[in-house]
Amino acid sequence: MTEEIHFVTGKGGVGKSVVAASLALKEARRGRKTLLVELGERSFYKDFFSLGREVGYAPVQIAENLDLALWSGRDSLREYAHHLLKVEALVKLLFENSVSRSLIDIAPALPELAILGKATSGPRRHGPPAPHQVLIIDAFATGHFLALLQAPRGMAEAVRFGPMGEQSRAIEAVLTDPKVTRVHVVSLPEEMPVKESEELTEALTTRFGLRPDIILNKTIDLAGVSDRALNTPHPFAVHMKDVKDRQNEMRDRLLKTGCPLREAPLILSDDPWALTGKIAEVL
Amino acid sequence: MTATTTTQVMVFVGSGGVGKTTLAAAAGLLAARAGKKVLVLTIDPSRRLASTLGIEGSTEATKVPGFEGPGELWASIVDHRRTFDEFVMKAAKHAPGAEKILKNGLYRQLTTTLAGSQDFSALEKLYSCYKDGGYDVLILDTPPAQHAREFLEAPAKIAALFQEGIARWFRDPQSGGAGFLQKIVSTGTRQVLKVLETLTGSDFIRELGDFFRTIEGWQGRLQERTTAVHRLLVSDETRFYLVTGFDRAKWLEAESFARDIRQAGYHLGRVIVNRAWPQWLAEKTEAPLDPELEPLHQRFVEYDRKRAEALDRFTADWRGEQKVLRLPELSERVYDLQGLAKVAEALSRGGW
Ligand SMILES: Nc1ncnc2c1ncn2[C@@H]1O[C@H](COP(=O)(O)OP(=O)(O)O)[C@@H](O)[C@H]1O
Ligand SMILES: [Mg+2]
Repeated sequence: MTEEIHFVTGKGGVGKSVVAASLALKEARRGRKTLLVELGERSFYKDFFSLGREVGYAPVQIAENLDLALWSGRDSLREYAHHLLKVEALVKLLFENSVSRSLIDIAPALPELAILGKATSGPRRHGPPAPHQVLIIDAFATGHFLALLQAPRGMAEAVRFGPMGEQSRAIEAVLTDPKVTRVHVVSLPEEMPVKESEELTEALTTRFGLRPDIILNKTIDLAGVSDRALNTPHPFAVHMKDVKDRQNEMRDRLLKTGCPLREAPLILSDDPWALTGKIAEVL
Repeated sequence: MTATTTTQVMVFVGSGGVGKTTLAAAAGLLAARAGKKVLVLTIDPSRRLASTLGIEGSTEATKVPGFEGPGELWASIVDHRRTFDEFVMKAAKHAPGAEKILKNGLYRQLTTTLAGSQDFSALEKLYSCYKDGGYDVLILDTPPAQHAREFLEAPAKIAALFQEGIARWFRDPQSGGAGFLQKIVSTGTRQVLKVLETLTGSDFIRELGDFFRTIEGWQGRLQERTTAVHRLLVSDETRFYLVTGFDRAKWLEAESFARDIRQAGYHLGRVIVNRAWPQWLAEKTEAPLDPELEPLHQRFVEYDRKRAEALDRFTADWRGEQKVLRLPELSERVYDLQGLAKVAEALSRGGW
């Protein structure tokens, strides 16, 4: 049964996918049955972990206690439809008719809702069994993530009655329950990502009442290096001095958001398991 | 004004955070230096880049301050919401009650949440600038996407919305009255809608019906427009530039994306691997490195060497025939026109 749902978000390219995989690995190593989820139509982890097989809606095991799945809006909706309608012929009718297919594809917020419905089906006791204890969702980047969270609310407002409105309110209740749902905002010690994290944590707090934490990724540990060594004209020293100053400045700014702050070090390795394994250790 | 046939279009695509905006601006700088009148359409420039381009807080095309020819460098930010609304209103011209659509709850949600609606308005903006004419070169930076490919799929997805067939489903023969579902003639359609209603509730179906009935009648024009945009994208004047980051998963993505671009009939200009090596590691120097920094330096050098080898191997058997251009990670941050000029120089050196 789903005990925890973790969403990992942040600006594009900051390391959301790597951090999400590391968090999942950490939970799996603790012996909890974990599902790492990617959203959308295409798997990133398939190439990242060189899995050599397709990743789809049905979970596949990639490590001990660790499964991976790719949830598209359409697949999630199809499963939901199946659960509600029970009759496969009706589901087929809905998903294989070309017009209704495009209707489903474009119906605003419907795929988003289906994805969130899938994620929260365990705690809501609605839908097929959700056997994993922990869900780690490599979610959309900032703007699209806010839109994802907004979907149940928008739907509940637009559609007050009927199953859609009801479901939307139940989903919203799970998402805003801090015992179940956690949001991790990944950032980098750079101006743009930090600015975006400041705005995002603010939006998550004020608009959704969530209390996200921040994971500052790709930090370099320079605690053991003296100022004397850094203050030399060698280009590498100049760069590291700049890194140190910037890291300090960005850390201070992120602390001011009032959100808990953790750091994930820059790992100088291209091996995906070494990379995520090391980050899992420190998180 | 009519479009001149010589307007060159450059579209920068790639997944989020790879440096598309900066490279688009740098490419603009190069073209303007070559004497062209250039407009760079940006999506989400950093505050500093926006202020460098002179477009902070504005959506009007602005001449980049401090740029001294010989050509002209203009920039502008694409206002997603406004572009989308304008597009729909333009298509709806003279249609009675067209503004109603702007207030429809689903329309509002659609234009904010639907993945691809941003890409769509970026393209729409590009096309309207193209139609208006006045520039030799138009450069489009594209919205951040999880996957570079999403950009190509967006127009079709949005176009599906304006498909003639859908509104017919919701056509209400006798206006008003309860249970409009019963009034739909086709039984197959009724069945599908019934199923959808079971899933979503009648409220939702009614909203959808409202939406499609409102746009019915001017869908043709909406579709014409999306076809015209597509024609521009596959034309000989348009080139796609694929920007990618420095890791294997991203290269694999870029490789298959490059193939998709060509298969879909678009012209791929270049593949650019951004931040392919750190300049601060490659720079020659007389200055000694403090022994304290030696081990860290070694680790960076080693790591960088391995990655460069991996990239060499990868580009050697890159299945596309496209030339891959590598750009260094610059030592200085790119904030001002001078920084942008440095990127532009790196582009030139890389064989742009
Ligand atoms: N802590 C880290 N150390 C080293 N490399 C990292 C780290 N985090 C991320 N990366 C690398 O940074 C790039 C972007 O990470 P990714 O997780 O794909 O970002 P996102 O999912 O936010 O787009 C990838 O090349 C990834 O391997
Ligand atoms: Mg990712």
